[in-house]
Order: sequence, then C-alpha cells, then structure tokens
Amino acid sequence: MKKDPISLGLGEYFISQNPEDILVAYGLGSCLGISLIDPRTHLSGLLHAVLPGTANPQNLPGVDLYKYVDSGINSLLGAMLKEGANKSRLIVRMVGGANMLISPGMKNSFDIGTRNIETARQTFQRLNMTIAAEEVGGHIGRTIHVYVAESRVTVRVIGEKERDI
Amino acid sequence: MINENILFDQELLDLLKSMAGEGIKNAASGFSGMVGRTIEVSNPNLKLVPLLSISEILGGPEDDAVGIYLRFEGDMLGQIMMIMPYSKALELVDLLMETPPGTTQHFGRLERSALGELGNLCGTFFLNSLAKLSHASLRPSPPAVMVDMVGAILDVVIATAGGVSEHVLLMQANFMDGSRSVEANFWVIPDITAFQDLIQKNA
Repeated sequence: MKKDPISLGLGEYFISQNPEDILVAYGLGSCLGISLIDPRTHLSGLLHAVLPGTANPQNLPGVDLYKYVDSGINSLLGAMLKEGANKSRLIVRMVGGANMLISPGMKNSFDIGTRNIETARQTFQRLNMTIAAEEVGGHIGRTIHVYVAESRVTVRVIGEKERDI
Repeated sequence: MINENILFDQELLDLLKSMAGEGIKNAASGFSGMVGRTIEVSNPNLKLVPLLSISEILGGPEDDAVGIYLRFEGDMLGQIMMIMPYSKALELVDLLMETPPGTTQHFGRLERSALGELGNLCGTFFLNSLAKLSHASLRPSPPAVMVDMVGAILDVVIATAGGVSEHVLLMQANFMDGSRSVEANFWVIPDITAFQDLIQKNA
C-alpha cells in the first residue's frame, strides 16, 4: 500500500531519507515552501514558512522558528547538516510567495509574499547557497511536493496538473 | 506581546458573541435587501480558534474555494474573510441571481462581482452593528474576491495577523432562502489591541 504524503502545516518542517516518503505543503499563497535536497543521499527537507522575518523573536513566547523564512531556512539547514547533509551538494528549490490580494483598494498593502521571497533570497545569499529552481510570485496559490526517492520536486496550481521544477 | 488568555476571557467572548449574532442578523437583512427576498440566518456561532488551524477546519488546504475579503479601519482595525468551498460559492451565486441550483458553473467577472457585492454588504452590515455596540467608527475597504486553494486564500489572513495574533474569531452561519441553504463562514480578525478599547467602552 502506498503511504500518504506527509503534509506540512504552517510553520512546520520535515526531514526524511525514507524513499517511501512524499513531503507536501498544500495551498501556498503568500507562504513559501522551501526544499533542500542532497541528491547523493536523498536526504530531503521541506519547510512551510509563513512570514518573512523574526523581527522581535524575544517578544513572542513559544515562537516557532520555522514560521519565519529567515530563521526557518537556518533551522532547516542546521537540522539537515546534523543529519549528515553536505551543504555544497544541497539543491534549493522554492515555491509560493504569491500576492493573493488583487483588489483596487488594496494595492501594495501587506504584500507578504514578495517580502517572503526577498527574505529567502537574501538568506540563501548570506549562506552562499544558490536557488536552483523557483516558482514564486504572481497571484496564484501553489502546492509543492517533494518525492524523496527520486529527489524530485513538483508544483501544482488550481485546475492544473503537477509538474516538475 | 499581549497575553491572549487574559484578553480573551469569557466575559469578552460573551460580549463578542452577542455582537456577532447581532452583526450576522444585520448582514442577513442586507443580503435580503440585495436579492429582494427574505434571507434568513440560522445557527450563528462564534468560536475562538488558533490561527494555524483554520485550513483544517475548512477541509483540506488544497481544496478549491472562494474567499471574499475586506479590511476595516477607523477606531478599530481588522479584517473580515468570508470563505466557502468552490461548489458552495457556485450555489450562492445561483441563489443571488435567482437561477436554478447548478446553473452557475464557473466564476467570471459577473459572478465574482456578485460575490464581492455580497461580501461588501455583509461586511458593512456587520461592521455597522459592531460600530453601534462598541460606539466606534469603522470603515470597510472595497472587497477582494479570490478563487484559489483554501490554504492560499487563508494565507492573506494568516500573513497579516500572524505577526501579532495567534487566534482569530470564527463566525459561522447558514443563509437560507426557503429550502435552499448555504453555509457561510466569516473570519473576523481584529487587530488585537482593538479589544482593549472594546472592553473599556463596555465596562
């Protein structure tokens, strides 16, 4: 029997090397799905980040570091390195960061999606990591799947089929 | 960070419940005026739910859905999101346009605009009653209509409220036109500091 995909909620991450595992973040709007994959060992990680940065982390009791793009990327990377990932081999892919509000009265307001994308790019730049593939921005929701066995990542939007990125 | 456990005490929830009940009834009368028939509202309900669990409450985050969103400003700041499954939204358009159930098959400009207008009306009527009860002046923004995955629509609310508030208020109600019934969920996401004023004004 086929295993159900492992679904990541807001601010969650998952790391797996089990070839049976499929990681997924459904319906990303302004949120970002960020995957790190070591293709040699198939060690794969996925993060479902919600907001750009931890502006005042000390003010948020019980704050979930994975909720934020910057601390989420750092924490995911740290956890994967601990599992034996080789940083120079890690392939970075990123999906989401849309601006869902396209109403005349709400231009440029709360464009968290764009800020999430910018924060992710800056964070990876600081880490000296390149983003291999991305499907970001626009005004549309997306789902990201990570197939651990094949080190494969797909994206799907409403009314369309899944495709590789 | 404001302690939400203290903020959302039973007293405040009861107060909000009565406001919500009043607001939804008011919204239904606006709705009725719009379609020219009596639309009744049943089972208004109000719950405080964790922000991060909204999409589970609505079904899967990848399900197709329609969201009508507006913000309000003035003495209080906040957001209102009406969200419903795609098929329900089609039914709602049929109800609004007085066409037999199943007539509307997709969301074009007309359908979106009808739902936007509905959101506008419900939002305005709801805010009027909130304003009256809290003696606050509130102005709604124009509505935005989104047709997409549940998760993506909810990101709008989550991203805006996520930095400040861990909980949102969920109001549920059934809109009925004779035997036809469409369930609607309103999510009211007030700027959390707004509640302090509310408590003081009602103390």
